[in-house]
Amino acid sequence: MKIYEDLRLVQARLALLQNALVLTMALLAGVFWHLQILRSRSFRELAETNRSRVVPIAAPRGPLLDRAGRILVENRASFNIVLEPEHVEDLDDLVARLARLLGVGEAQLRERLARREGPFRPVVIRSDASLEEVATLEARRLEFPSVSVDVVPLRSYPLAVAAAHSLGRVGEISERQLQARDFAGHKAGDLVGQAGIELQYNGALRGRDGLRRLVVNSRGREVAEIGREAPADGPSLTLTLDLELQAAAEQIFGGRAGSAVALDPATGEILALTSIPAYDPNAFATGIDAGPWQKLATDPETPLMNRVIQGQYAPGSVFKIVLAVAGLEEGVVTPHSAFYCPGYLSIYDSVFRCNKAAGHGMVSLHKALAQSCNVYFYHLGARLEIDRIGRWARRLGLGSPAGIDLPHEMSGLVPSSEWKLRTLRTPWYAGETISVAIGQGQVTATPLQLARLAAVVANGGRLVTPHLVRAVGGRPVPGPEPVPLGLRPETLAAIRDGLCAAVNERGTGWRAQLPGLEVCGKTGSAQVVASRLRQPTSRDTLPHAWFVAFAPRQSPRVALAVLVEHGGSGADAATPVAREILARFFQTTVAPPAPPMAD
Amino acid sequence: MPIDRRLLLNLDWVLLGAALVLASIGIAMIHSATFSGHSSGLYLKQAYVLAAALPALLVALSVDYRRLADRAMLFYLGAAALLVHVLLFGPRIAGTQRWFFVGPLQVQPSELAKVAAALLIAKLFAEMRKDRLSLRDVALPGLLTALLALLIAAEPDLGTAFCLVPMFLTVALLAGLRLRAIALLGLVFLVVGGLGWRFALKDYQKTRVYTFLDPSLDPRGAGYQKIQSQIAVGSGALLGKGFKQGTQSQLGYLPARHTDFIFSVLAEELGFLGVLFVLSLYLLVLWRALEAAQLARDRLGAFLAAGLTAVLAFQVVYNIAMVAGLVPVKGLPLPLFSYGGASLLSTSIMIGLILNVRMRRFAN
Repeated sequence: MKIYEDLRLVQARLALLQNALVLTMALLAGVFWHLQILRSRSFRELAETNRSRVVPIAAPRGPLLDRAGRILVENRASFNIVLEPEHVEDLDDLVARLARLLGVGEAQLRERLARREGPFRPVVIRSDASLEEVATLEARRLEFPSVSVDVVPLRSYPLAVAAAHSLGRVGEISERQLQARDFAGHKAGDLVGQAGIELQYNGALRGRDGLRRLVVNSRGREVAEIGREAPADGPSLTLTLDLELQAAAEQIFGGRAGSAVALDPATGEILALTSIPAYDPNAFATGIDAGPWQKLATDPETPLMNRVIQGQYAPGSVFKIVLAVAGLEEGVVTPHSAFYCPGYLSIYDSVFRCNKAAGHGMVSLHKALAQSCNVYFYHLGARLEIDRIGRWARRLGLGSPAGIDLPHEMSGLVPSSEWKLRTLRTPWYAGETISVAIGQGQVTATPLQLARLAAVVANGGRLVTPHLVRAVGGRPVPGPEPVPLGLRPETLAAIRDGLCAAVNERGTGWRAQLPGLEVCGKTGSAQVVASRLRQPTSRDTLPHAWFVAFAPRQSPRVALAVLVEHGGSGADAATPVAREILARFFQTTVAPPAPPMAD
Repeated sequence: MPIDRRLLLNLDWVLLGAALVLASIGIAMIHSATFSGHSSGLYLKQAYVLAAALPALLVALSVDYRRLADRAMLFYLGAAALLVHVLLFGPRIAGTQRWFFVGPLQVQPSELAKVAAALLIAKLFAEMRKDRLSLRDVALPGLLTALLALLIAAEPDLGTAFCLVPMFLTVALLAGLRLRAIALLGLVFLVVGGLGWRFALKDYQKTRVYTFLDPSLDPRGAGYQKIQSQIAVGSGALLGKGFKQGTQSQLGYLPARHTDFIFSVLAEELGFLGVLFVLSLYLLVLWRALEAAQLARDRLGAFLAAGLTAVLAFQVVYNIAMVAGLVPVKGLPLPLFSYGGASLLSTSIMIGLILNVRMRRFAN
């Protein structure tokens, strides 16, 4: 028997459900229409952003060449170990394992991670890794999937310590620099110039970074490269430096603190620039660690200071050249005027001693410069008075930066009565003029300024602007034009005679004699104010030794200033250094001259 | 063998064919989704499962559904026992206990529970010979369904547990429960759901709901899946990026791309046209399944086919809506399409039972 059930209600409700089903599927189709047709463009863009990354390729900075085209600074390939923290689950654990593997401090890694730009940006955790480190890491690749190795160009300084202060150094861009307009276009982590030429010409040396367009997967791993723009190297910079002279100058100092600068008196091109102690710029190439940096920055010997442009010393007897120019040009004396030197001068209720207690007798300008007679210049200073001395000192380039193309040049100090009233709120005492007349007291100058002073005497009265760059990218850069000072030829001739005599006629600079070459020069010693030192030792109170010179006498090719810190009298310490530098410059090597007969 | 020629003539070849086409497209999409330079072989595994599922389908349609329904309580108790077993002894995999192993075979009791529940609900309702049911009438089947659902939810597998709700409501509706009562049940469900939200949901589950409401809250966490799926779907546009050319799927931005989010791969690589085609196939399968219920010779057959269709329809609609970012992310596979043996096997059995009902529309 068959029981046919009444299914009408069931079937009616099933029909209802069928309609509901069709409606639902149509709704879903509508949603996909909305997503895939109406909004497809924006989702395409999102998908594209998902999968593509643009990774910059660092452009090598331009190389630095010496005046003959020899390499002073170049680039070498180095390995950076990079961590992409984006997909790391346990960062602490990873950092600990990496620190063990690479043998670096965990704190250091953490500091680098803390400085990264964004939470997903790759971080360089080890720059300039050794081949061993790279090999160790590659072998354990699977343990460190988020760590990779990048090849980046690094600065290399073959001269190392010998040219640190002119060439400078690079380092990771600082927070402050990132804000500065000079560094526009740089990003965190970039290596930029931090001193010297590298800093001054940072913009010019910079290349154009290339880029790689990558397809990456959801873990940020590179899957394919779909485009590449090659980086353009920065242009080379041809410097005025002479590589051999530069290297020699550093050697000649033999580790003594001091500085030397040699320039072409006609143009102001710097041939060598040495400041000692120095540092090895290679140590900074990857961004130096905090420890060694602290050591350099707080070293009492100030290895980071460029003494040639930042050391401000009393010019000592070298300042007598300024007095001579002023005296002759102002008509206070003629080359033939003479004063009597009994070994001292009593003036303004004080007694000022000469450098020779027995006295020089009758002294004209020629002998005064040759023998460095203080009394002659006491008389001259008293007659010129401080403000005229100051005016001439400033005309000759003292008291303001020489304008070299290096950062942070100091200006030295040329005192005047107005200056003293303004800063010390006391009137000028005439007695102070007597000290200034022999380059002591308030007056200070940098070695560069005094080399420039020697160049004025050497080149016929033109003030040059010292500079270090001859050409950018092979195209010559015209140096700043020397400024004629309008000095009378007789003035210059008389001073040249005196400076020549100082070296060649048994004067104070006799140690600078070179056979077959007429060297002209002036010694000086800059008294050190002992009270400024915290713990003066006998060496600390020794005066700094100066020698400024140019050679040869006829159409001079080089002017230089040498300062040996605490070297004692200029004649003893600085003159032989200058002589060696000149010998290297003129390619002559001979034994030092025999001392003249004492008189 | 009880299958005679007349039964074969009444086999719904359209439904079966459409289901096979869907499973084949699914295997192709699994191939694309798991392809990374070389084939992973997962698509082959799915093809073997499909081959193994066909005999299961055959078994499900060959035994008269009325004889199966006679043993519905037995199946139900068996499924409940398996669920208890997996809760007590099942290995903990990714924080859940959903599977246990018999030799190399992975058994997922919740999939079997869906079939058992459909049989029992259909039988219980078919035995009520009234046109209008009251809430009291549905209390027993309701409780029995809720018990299974709770066991599944405890694994936890909220998605599968929830599948039993539309099944129950659909059969109750067909059996004559008043629409008002259904509305009331819906209200009860909302209240229970609300209380469950307050007291029973785990934090990760709450996070899922919050981030569903505002994915930008946590773009790399739970909201990530929804955003990436929408990007995959939307960027597919009209024609898609081409088979195995989807950037979202091939580069790994899509999560669970060969299982729960397989439809995103389809949408990205084959575009809106591919989506329309597959949606039409699903509509065809579900429409024909409801037709089987309409054509059934008795209430039992109609309830069984409709209950099973309700489960399938719910899974299809929820999964596709999830891929489109309309509903929160739940671990619900897309029947016939997603990678996974248990799901494919149980879907085959369910389709077999639906065919079974239609085949026997004239049989005694």
